[in-house]
Amino acid sequence: MLTVGLDVGSTTIKALAAEDGAPRWQDYKRHNTKQAEMVLEFLARMQADCGLAPGRDRIFLTGSGAGLVAPLLGGKFVQEVVAVAATVEKLHPEVSFVSEIGGEDMKTLFFTPSGEGKSKQVFMQSACSGGTGTFIEKTARKLQIATEQLAQMPYDGLTLHKISSKCGIFAEADSNTLVKSGVPVEEIIASLFEAVVYQNLATLTKGNTPQPQVLLLGGPNMFFAGLQQAWRHHLAKLWTERKIALPAGAAPEDLILVPKEALYYACLGCIEIGSGEAPGVGVYAGPERLREWVEVGQHEQKAREGASGLVGDPQAFEHFMHCYGGPRSEAPAMDPAERAAPAFVGLDFGSTTAKAVVLSDKRELLASCYAPSNGNPIEDAKAILREIRKQGVERIAALGVTGYGKDLLKDIVGADVAIVETVSHATAALHYFPDADVICDVGGCDVKIMILRQGTVSDFRLNSQCSSGNGAFLQGVAERYDVPLEQYAERAFEARAVPALAMGCGVFLQSDIVNQQRKGWSREEIMASLAAVLPLNVWVYAGQLQNLAAAGRKFVLQGGTHRNLAVVKAQVDFIRGKVPDAEIVVHPYSGEAGAIGAALCALDWAAEGKPSRFRGYELIESLEYTSTTNEHTTCNWCAVNCKRTFIDVRMPGGAGRPWSKVPLTEGWERVISGNSCPKGLVEDVNEMKAVKEKLEEAKRAYPNIGELVRENAFRGTQAEV
Amino acid sequence: MSWFEKTPLGALKQKFDRDGWQGKAPEAAAPIAKPRESLRVGIPRVLNMWSTHQFWIGFLGALGIDSRHIEFSGDTSEEQARSHAKGRGTVDCCYPVKCVSGHYGELLARHKRKIDILLSPMVYSLPSFLNGHVAASLACPRVMAAAENIKAGFVKERDAFGEHGVRYAAPLVSLGDRPVVSRQLYGALKDVIPGLSAKETERAVDEGYRALAAYDRSLRAKSREVLEWCAREGKGCMLVLARPYHMDPGIGHEIEVDLQAYGYPVLWAQYLPTDDDLMQWMFGAEIAEGHMKSPWDIADVWPSSYSANTNEILWGAKFAARMPWITCVVRLSSYECGMDQPTYSPVQQIVERSGTLFFSFQDLDSTKPAGSVKIRVETIAHYLHRYSAGIIEKKMAASPAGCPVARV
Repeated sequence: MLTVGLDVGSTTIKALAAEDGAPRWQDYKRHNTKQAEMVLEFLARMQADCGLAPGRDRIFLTGSGAGLVAPLLGGKFVQEVVAVAATVEKLHPEVSFVSEIGGEDMKTLFFTPSGEGKSKQVFMQSACSGGTGTFIEKTARKLQIATEQLAQMPYDGLTLHKISSKCGIFAEADSNTLVKSGVPVEEIIASLFEAVVYQNLATLTKGNTPQPQVLLLGGPNMFFAGLQQAWRHHLAKLWTERKIALPAGAAPEDLILVPKEALYYACLGCIEIGSGEAPGVGVYAGPERLREWVEVGQHEQKAREGASGLVGDPQAFEHFMHCYGGPRSEAPAMDPAERAAPAFVGLDFGSTTAKAVVLSDKRELLASCYAPSNGNPIEDAKAILREIRKQGVERIAALGVTGYGKDLLKDIVGADVAIVETVSHATAALHYFPDADVICDVGGCDVKIMILRQGTVSDFRLNSQCSSGNGAFLQGVAERYDVPLEQYAERAFEARAVPALAMGCGVFLQSDIVNQQRKGWSREEIMASLAAVLPLNVWVYAGQLQNLAAAGRKFVLQGGTHRNLAVVKAQVDFIRGKVPDAEIVVHPYSGEAGAIGAALCALDWAAEGKPSRFRGYELIESLEYTSTTNEHTTCNWCAVNCKRTFIDVRMPGGAGRPWSKVPLTEGWERVISGNSCPKGLVEDVNEMKAVKEKLEEAKRAYPNIGELVRENAFRGTQAEV
Repeated sequence: MSWFEKTPLGALKQKFDRDGWQGKAPEAAAPIAKPRESLRVGIPRVLNMWSTHQFWIGFLGALGIDSRHIEFSGDTSEEQARSHAKGRGTVDCCYPVKCVSGHYGELLARHKRKIDILLSPMVYSLPSFLNGHVAASLACPRVMAAAENIKAGFVKERDAFGEHGVRYAAPLVSLGDRPVVSRQLYGALKDVIPGLSAKETERAVDEGYRALAAYDRSLRAKSREVLEWCAREGKGCMLVLARPYHMDPGIGHEIEVDLQAYGYPVLWAQYLPTDDDLMQWMFGAEIAEGHMKSPWDIADVWPSSYSANTNEILWGAKFAARMPWITCVVRLSSYECGMDQPTYSPVQQIVERSGTLFFSFQDLDSTKPAGSVKIRVETIAHYLHRYSAGIIEKKMAASPAGCPVARV
């Protein structure tokens, strides 16, 4: 008689079949979200290879998918932690701490001797990706490191960098920053291992100290050599710090075990527990009912649970496509007759492209152009102005800049106004839709909601901390499913039903996706449901707007994510659900909105009758500048140590930087590039001093009561202000 | 008996008032064999300490503890948590409470100026200027219980206090209810501070309140000066509506400092001027019409006025709505704060209805959202620059003549 232990996990299926205590068959495989199907495949192979027979053999199941599968197979469900603990107690009586890291969860187990036996304490985290296998793999995938290579990458001896340990999405962003600043991938991966161990120790020990011996279980602990090294490093350090006595002659490394069979511990535990069950329990009933569920039952269940698809009523969908599915507006080509007229130019410097638009004095869009950003703001400015000149613009009457680096470039190109992004976006939307009440701009990395009243921005919500509402999350999921972003809508519209995903943090959403996959939802359906949940995340979760009707009735959708029609459909349905008479429009020049806003602000500025400070094409083209990249330009504000470039531009009236390590005489201005965060725009402590002095001056002139509390409330001797 | 005293929490309060209370000491309390003038007392710079600081300095000083021997932990920081809270964490959904582990750890780890006592008061109620005009001035219960919750992480396996030779004292104290305070503190500290008598505790409590009141007065006067300056210069200023611990750079991330740099003075709701002339000008008409009972009555906007910090935030919103030179309100709130959540809409409505700009930074936790704060701050600065003059004018038009801060 065979006894099968089957572990139906979030990413893999593992099985072990034993006869009279001796293993007969074992395997593990990734299921790529098809849990039930993979279980069937396993059962078929067990039947072929070692004669698994219904009515005779017994089967015990564990793992996140076991609750569904077990009853269909006649098997008995065993809780994961119970299963693992059973194996550990049997095979490793000397172990007092276990860390099991799974694909989407992590657990710690503490065994403490109590009386005859041992008491167990279990801590689990399954609602957040911080510290789990996904946390590492997600970032490794971004860095294009193959799993086999990742497994071999070391931790020991590498320089570590700060990576957020609390959230997989933030970690990925941190890694991007590190990559951009030239940190070797080996160091990034080592830092990820560090973050995982830190997170496990920080959140899953709850005041307990892991005591030797320690057992590391689960895929990531087993496969990633670097992760094992990180554990060894941290536990050895902790034991020294906490003065934990080690058995005589044992080195800390010897007390940390990574058993070869670790992957099968949950399966082993199932068999162990199963052997203690009464003979009639867990008798394998054959694969038929599971097969039936795969073929029919899951669809019925889905139909019961799911909301209807994104498409909904076909007639309404046709109407939707008629309204929103047309080609995107393109800026017109410049009419030669307009070339000599005064042109009002807006420049929007983004992190990947610089965009420009040209408006007439009647505020009509005459032309727009792009130039890819190459990281040198001076060259970016030159390139985009060259494009404008190519369009035939002869006389720039006023120039507005917005976007990243606007303040630095304002003086260099001689812009008349530098406008913050939110204001430029709002101005652009109001120009096309003067009766707009709400602007919803969903970009790749942030969500901006601007609420307008009487033509001015009365409130806005900006969320760049949370990834759930922005386009990057959709993109990430599309990538995971190997679907190009352009095909997202088409695929999502194929779904006839969608699972109901919970709104909220992107990491929770990811767990939820796994959950839905387990129920058998396909990638198209999940993609559709993600688009469907996006409005909730944008408006309610990120925007904190419960009452949409109070915000207004005319909504403008802009930003790159709204090029995805599935998102637009979901937005329209959502907004109409809250505000039945809502009018919803997609901004005609969604990508150029920032530049248009800057140009409009330039027009307002020019209306005051002042001449433009624009330096002219020739002067900018011939700007004299030097760039310096050396040890003195490296940023030392944090451990990332960005290799910055100082670009010094000759400018009449430039203040110079006599205090700098790369001194600059009067008549020159400096632009810093190559930094990965705003902090790097400040040269070093010398400039910080100069900036601080200025800030202190401002602070003295404009007091802050909170600052006074910080300064003197905790001082005993000087209570009075 | 008020309805509150009939509730379980109220009954508990009566018991505390009667008997005094202190968190169970980790081990049998041995009296500290050291003269008081050489005792060093460590106090975590957290939570309610941000509004009761001077009470404790005054109180300990009056007991003969040198003010230079009162060791406050540093500002909250991620670094602090990494080096001092690892493995000491406890389950708590409140971020400012979670951070307390780092403060305990930092105080225990001090080698130079080693502390003898770690004093972590469990503040049940707070001294609030609204006291008497509101239902109660309670501290947030989660914040009050923080001391016990955090302690657990330090005594779970081994007594970390004992190992460092530190006496842990977490007196439960109803600072909003002065008559019971001496008894509570005497009961909790008599075995901690050598030779403590009930009588000197009473005197020291007086001294504590005196110091706190003096500090309060001086900051309220400073705030009034700021408003007078604004009126004179015709410039707007900004009011921060937040809990006192948002002044901690690790909790509030000094967001208001970035706006200050644009040339706007910053007031905090905890220290607004409450002088009679000003109160009369602001609220007199509404009191006369019967809309409110006194200038400090918030029942018109917040009937369930039990929490001291919440009450002061609501009152601050009312103040902002009526003060022409406050052209902008900045609301700070920590991640998922259950006390703050129900106040979001009323506070925003009170402020916006008056035409004052309102911006809120919610769900703050360990990371300063540097990029988004910068954009927000610039946007706020843009509109403040553009609209402040108009807002002052509009609010002036809606106010009675003869504003006391404009008379100077």
